[in-house]
Amino acid sequence: MNATARLPRLVAALALAAILFIQPAPAADSQPTVELRMSWWGGNEVHRAYLASLRRFEAKYPHIKVKGEYTGWVGHLERLTTQIAGGTAPDVMQVNWNWLVLFSRDGRGFYDLNTLNGTVDLSQFDRDARDTGTVKGRLNALPVAMAARVFYFNETTFAKAGLRVPRTWDELFAAGPIFRERLGKDYYPLAMNFLDVLALCRSWVVQRTNRQLIDEGSRRLNASEADMEEMAAFYQRLVTEHVIAPAPERASYGNVADQELRPWITGRYAGMYYWTSAVGKLAETLQPGQKLVLAPYLMREGASDAGLFYRPAMMVAVNSKTQHPKEAALLLDFLFNDAFAVEAFGLQRGLPVSKSAVATLEARGLSRTLGWDGNTQVATLPHRVGESGYFEHPRVRDGFIDIFESLGFGEISAAEAGRRMYTDVNRILERVVRPAGDGSGS
Amino acid sequence: MRAGLRYGVLIAVGVLMLYPLLWMVGGSFKPNHEIFDSIGFIPHEPTLEGFAKGWHTSTEYTFARYLLNTFAIILPKVVVTVVSSVLVAFGFARFNVPGKRALFGLLIATILLPKSVLLVPQYLMFREMGWLDTFLPLYVPSAFATEGFFVFMIIQFMRSFPREMEEAAVMDGCNSLQVLWHVVVPVIMPAIISVALFQFMWSMNDFLSPLIYLSSVEKYPVALALKLSIDVTEATSWNQILAMSTIALLPSLALFFAAQKYFVEGITVGAVKG
Repeated sequence: MNATARLPRLVAALALAAILFIQPAPAADSQPTVELRMSWWGGNEVHRAYLASLRRFEAKYPHIKVKGEYTGWVGHLERLTTQIAGGTAPDVMQVNWNWLVLFSRDGRGFYDLNTLNGTVDLSQFDRDARDTGTVKGRLNALPVAMAARVFYFNETTFAKAGLRVPRTWDELFAAGPIFRERLGKDYYPLAMNFLDVLALCRSWVVQRTNRQLIDEGSRRLNASEADMEEMAAFYQRLVTEHVIAPAPERASYGNVADQELRPWITGRYAGMYYWTSAVGKLAETLQPGQKLVLAPYLMREGASDAGLFYRPAMMVAVNSKTQHPKEAALLLDFLFNDAFAVEAFGLQRGLPVSKSAVATLEARGLSRTLGWDGNTQVATLPHRVGESGYFEHPRVRDGFIDIFESLGFGEISAAEAGRRMYTDVNRILERVVRPAGDGSGS
Repeated sequence: MRAGLRYGVLIAVGVLMLYPLLWMVGGSFKPNHEIFDSIGFIPHEPTLEGFAKGWHTSTEYTFARYLLNTFAIILPKVVVTVVSSVLVAFGFARFNVPGKRALFGLLIATILLPKSVLLVPQYLMFREMGWLDTFLPLYVPSAFATEGFFVFMIIQFMRSFPREMEEAAVMDGCNSLQVLWHVVVPVIMPAIISVALFQFMWSMNDFLSPLIYLSSVEKYPVALALKLSIDVTEATSWNQILAMSTIALLPSLALFFAAQKYFVEGITVGAVKG
């Protein structure tokens, strides 16, 4: 403890002698017990799975104690940001893929897991999976699961309209008017908020251009103004052909979680373009008697790429300043590859990436889920065109969504929206994509 | 007749305002799938499952732990807030110190300062003091009258009654603190109770500071614990959350009804006689 640190403590202690009296004395640390801290966010099931796995891990390695520091989703990023800024981040952290560009632009923000190979079995992750967590040649994080958005439809509603679940874009667009005629004007084949709209329009355009939407190198959109106009026009077409509800109508149901949208629960909005890692909750809230199915991925005629945004659903990283890298790596390996942990999590967070985890789950005969089927489908689709992590950067995302909203509420035309996406988003990209080594925050 | 109409309107608006609260209490007795089905608050298949499961939580601790933590933070916080705010307000209202106007302006300015601005500097400061992951950062700052709004409210209250009583007490030999304790405090009791109630409720709902300063789950207060099970990848068990919210609401409600008379007086006097 240095002098500058002692002074404020002394002042505070004097001023508040009545309130605080004991500073915990440093424990007499004779036995080599190591205490790790691990942070994650999640819901009830995730907490239970983590806690059970950590207890089992401690039983396997009696000299390591793991303290779980977990929260719900709300606020977790804010807390982690403060901790990283203050140098008090946990040893092991669950992170999102797009957080890598926030905390580790140059690849030094997290521990380079390549140096721990062997302690954590990297051979369980194929090259693509490792690449998603690699920044500037350093393996910053390992993916828990991969996810992409695919099409899920409410088969029951489609059957009511006398239709099968769409297999092509044309069938999807044809379903809109039929829904209006046979079921009523508040029935739509797809439920979409503007975030979903952005993802769907991106896939539509990429199926033609075969290019990523964002080019990190040039810090610009990798698309022309005409491409942007096509995106905007595509949204307009979805609305006019009764495939999705117009923005004012959709907004009247409030800004609630997708699975809690009333017309979704009752089956009036009969489909979602959704993450394979999170589709479980969509099926869970449907009124009894309805069936959600995976549909073939809709492809444009002659398209050679599905335009998927395929990315890690969740990752685990190690603090770059950890005192116990070896123990942290043991914990990582346990969570990714140990049969107990793998089974505890099951398909909770999507289909695991680790090969040994998949083998464990298959051997235990875990029943397939919508998410698992979705991932299997993704594997069969052409998806060579990737996407930059900046596509999910909050500023970029909001830049797109603001313009889609203006378009949706009739303030601007599709052509105008396309022009603005081109100029505005390019401007945002120039600001947020900083060359590595710059080091300053955005 | 006119009274009947007036009460009719008041009751109608009152019910409208209270409906979300009633819905929450009703929702806590519903099974989870029923919550989004109907707007009515009376459960079709009433169940205590929300309470039972919610109380046990998905963590290593029961909800009682989080309630106790909340009180371990709030009670000292309310006490130090009241003591420090009254002392500082008394100083501003009754003493002439050089630069008083500037200091008062500074105090008002702190009301306007968004709290999130101070978050990272304060975090670093408390880290240096070794206070992270303790309750201290959550209530010790309040011991320095940092809540400008409360100080302002008490000052306004003090301005509304004459100095003669205090002068009489000085004639009888009271020093300043005795005047404060024997004469001023009894008169401003409604304001003090308002401050205590406000601080109680605001601290109960405070989410950001415990989120930042507490990292151990065993130290979480209710505000954090309620959000522990809300995630983006799994459907949320709202009935458990509503049930625990109902329980967490009870202390605030009880306190409010117990002190209601003073509470209302406290705000109105402070507001009217500026």
